[in-house]
Amino acid sequence: MFKKIISIISDILNVIKHEFQIVFKDRGVVIMMVLAPLAYPVIYGILYQNETLTDVPVAVVDYSRSQTSRELLRHIDATQNVHIISTFSSLEEAKEAYNKRLVHGVIYIPADFNKKLCSGDQATVSIYCDISSFMYYRIINQACSYSVLDMGKQIQLKRLNANGITGEAASIISEPIQSSGVILYNEGAGFASFLIPALLMLIIHQTLFFGISMIAGTSREENRFHVLVSSSVHRGGTFRVIVGKSMCYLFIYAAWAFFVLGVIPHVFNLPHIGQTIDLIKFMIPFFMATIFFSMTVSVFLPNRETGMIVFMFFSLILLFLSGVSWPQSNINGFWKAFSWIFPSTQGIQGYIKINSMGAELKAVKYEYISLWVQTAVYFVTTCWAYRWQIKKSSRKAMLL
Amino acid sequence: MLNNIFISITNTLKRELKRMISRPIYFIGTVVIMAFCYVFFLTFFDEGQPNKMPIGVIDLDNSSLSRKFIRNLEATQQVKVVMRPESYTEAREQMQNGSIYAFVEINHDFAKNVLSNRRPELNFYINDSYLIAGSLVFKDISYMSLLTSGAVQREVLRAKGVEENRIMGIIQPIALDTHLIGNPWASYGTYLLNVLLPAVLQLMILMMTVFVIGVELKERTSPAWLGNAGNSIFAALTGKLLPYTVLFTILGIIGNVLLYSYMRYPLNSGIGWMFLDTFLLVISTQAIGIFLIGVTPVLRDGITMAGFFGMLGVTFAGSTFPIEQMPYQIRIFSDLFPIHHYFNVYVDQALNGIDIRYSIFSFLALLSFIILPLFVYNRLKKAAINQNFPIK
Repeated sequence: MFKKIISIISDILNVIKHEFQIVFKDRGVVIMMVLAPLAYPVIYGILYQNETLTDVPVAVVDYSRSQTSRELLRHIDATQNVHIISTFSSLEEAKEAYNKRLVHGVIYIPADFNKKLCSGDQATVSIYCDISSFMYYRIINQACSYSVLDMGKQIQLKRLNANGITGEAASIISEPIQSSGVILYNEGAGFASFLIPALLMLIIHQTLFFGISMIAGTSREENRFHVLVSSSVHRGGTFRVIVGKSMCYLFIYAAWAFFVLGVIPHVFNLPHIGQTIDLIKFMIPFFMATIFFSMTVSVFLPNRETGMIVFMFFSLILLFLSGVSWPQSNINGFWKAFSWIFPSTQGIQGYIKINSMGAELKAVKYEYISLWVQTAVYFVTTCWAYRWQIKKSSRKAMLL
Repeated sequence: MLNNIFISITNTLKRELKRMISRPIYFIGTVVIMAFCYVFFLTFFDEGQPNKMPIGVIDLDNSSLSRKFIRNLEATQQVKVVMRPESYTEAREQMQNGSIYAFVEINHDFAKNVLSNRRPELNFYINDSYLIAGSLVFKDISYMSLLTSGAVQREVLRAKGVEENRIMGIIQPIALDTHLIGNPWASYGTYLLNVLLPAVLQLMILMMTVFVIGVELKERTSPAWLGNAGNSIFAALTGKLLPYTVLFTILGIIGNVLLYSYMRYPLNSGIGWMFLDTFLLVISTQAIGIFLIGVTPVLRDGITMAGFFGMLGVTFAGSTFPIEQMPYQIRIFSDLFPIHHYFNVYVDQALNGIDIRYSIFSFLALLSFIILPLFVYNRLKKAAINQNFPIK
């Protein structure tokens, strides 16, 4: 019994050693499993380093030409988000500037603006926003409504005074309910803080998948019988091969996880309020599920490039399936069920909840358990697939 | 001479068509993947805008005013009250496990304090880790709280005897009227699909261009490929890539038709300009594919670079985060991506519907990619003949 355990362990160690050699001798695999997980997070961190838009250029058409309209425009210009770069005498001219992409929005103040304000009526300000990107619309609208509300408050007080309501009574009427919105977990409503945590997990998931499928494809191409497990290794039995290989990947990625999830968020000032111990506990089933998932799928890939050609585009699909961008609550039933196939879905959700929102492990119970279930299921499927391959290999060997 | 080249191209074309049916990857990498993406993205975003997102309300007041506020919230398009947590802690936990995107806190005696002029607080908390859900939910909740506040103001002003036609001017002296140029529905699908579908198209063109050339080098069939084309690398490349030019252009145009005719996304120009845009995207991307496999005539390195370039294209198209707002050193790279110019044409034409002369520069930029293969002609030819690069 004792002897058997020793032999199992030594077999597994051999497989690990052998797998390490495969990984680090193959330039393609090194690029995928070493270079990519280190480079991609840095590249995306740099690309999206600006969390929000600043000084978006806008044009102004001011038909009112009054002191009040100028004051409002000064107010808008003073916000961090918007910068008024030019004033035009007609909407047509402003449109020309917009068409040339010199500005991303136009603020239009009608001629009766000041007159209405003087006579106590409601005045209107129109804005036209570029919506080639969601961000432009949000930022311009936000800067203008903030300034308009602020100026409106002052005018409101004057009008209340004019109606004989003054002092304490006026301020109560001007704000009968003190309402305020508090943004949590991504206080600056930053784009990078929202997207990059999801990308980090996706990068880990995808490089692991492509690396494993490349190794599988190569060994298929190189083995005489076009099967996955070379006969020199498989003597130890399916179980030992699978455990050994997966442990090799786990070791490598444990180091990357430290860099990608531990260092990158600090360097790029992204949210990182999670408990380290919860994160580590969560990452274990994520890695195992991803490794076994990749090993199962890799059995069906005939060549070393096939995996990348066929599944590279899938990175985008996985990002949307994870429910970070388009909310998870609004993903329809079919695609939601489809998303359960991939470890990335629960992995990304769980990571964001722990890392960005400071959730404890018990708050991500659902994701955590799902990943363990996936680990178990994909371990079994990997065993089947490998056993099938080994049988195929020995049958061919016997025929020879 | 010209006749010779024509024959060489035809020969290569015939050879390539045979290869295309020899392995499933040729069909999967073109038709199957694009069809899957069309089905996926069009059904995934079929709502257009995420509606009725779950939020919670802590209603400690439970008065007619607070209940009315909740009813009003329910009536908005994007919010749905799915739970009534008892406390702030409970609500925060529900937010952390992802059950709700926001919650509103209505304190004890809220209504009583309003009536007795004590200006009670009405706080709401938004989770912007999910930026899209967060900002949409924020908009609806803050609008409703303004409206509730306005209703109270109206009551008080009436009671004070202010004339009815004066009241609106007091509650909201300046109104903001927001127009969205070209996309009046502000549908989220419009923002994304107009860039995601061409991005996948670009990725697959890159992958397949590199693959169909690289696989000849890898399987040591490249001398036969070149020989069949009368040793003209021009004929060899043209004949080989022509089927994919046609195939990807058709697939891209199907995408245009799906977006602008079937989904009725904004199309303020003739659809023909988008067809042209798509065609130029196809050939310019093929040119980059040739360039990549020419620089490293090793299939797996070529594929890795194609994948890297293709995925970066999603970012550099400029829809998710505007290129202009990226650091200067990065901005210049965006010009190296055909999809960036494709996207600019889309904004000018389909979205804004402005004169075609504004898009000429973008069209020319797309065309200029075609000179790229010239730089690697000799290198690729030598590699094809001598097989002097590792095949693994």
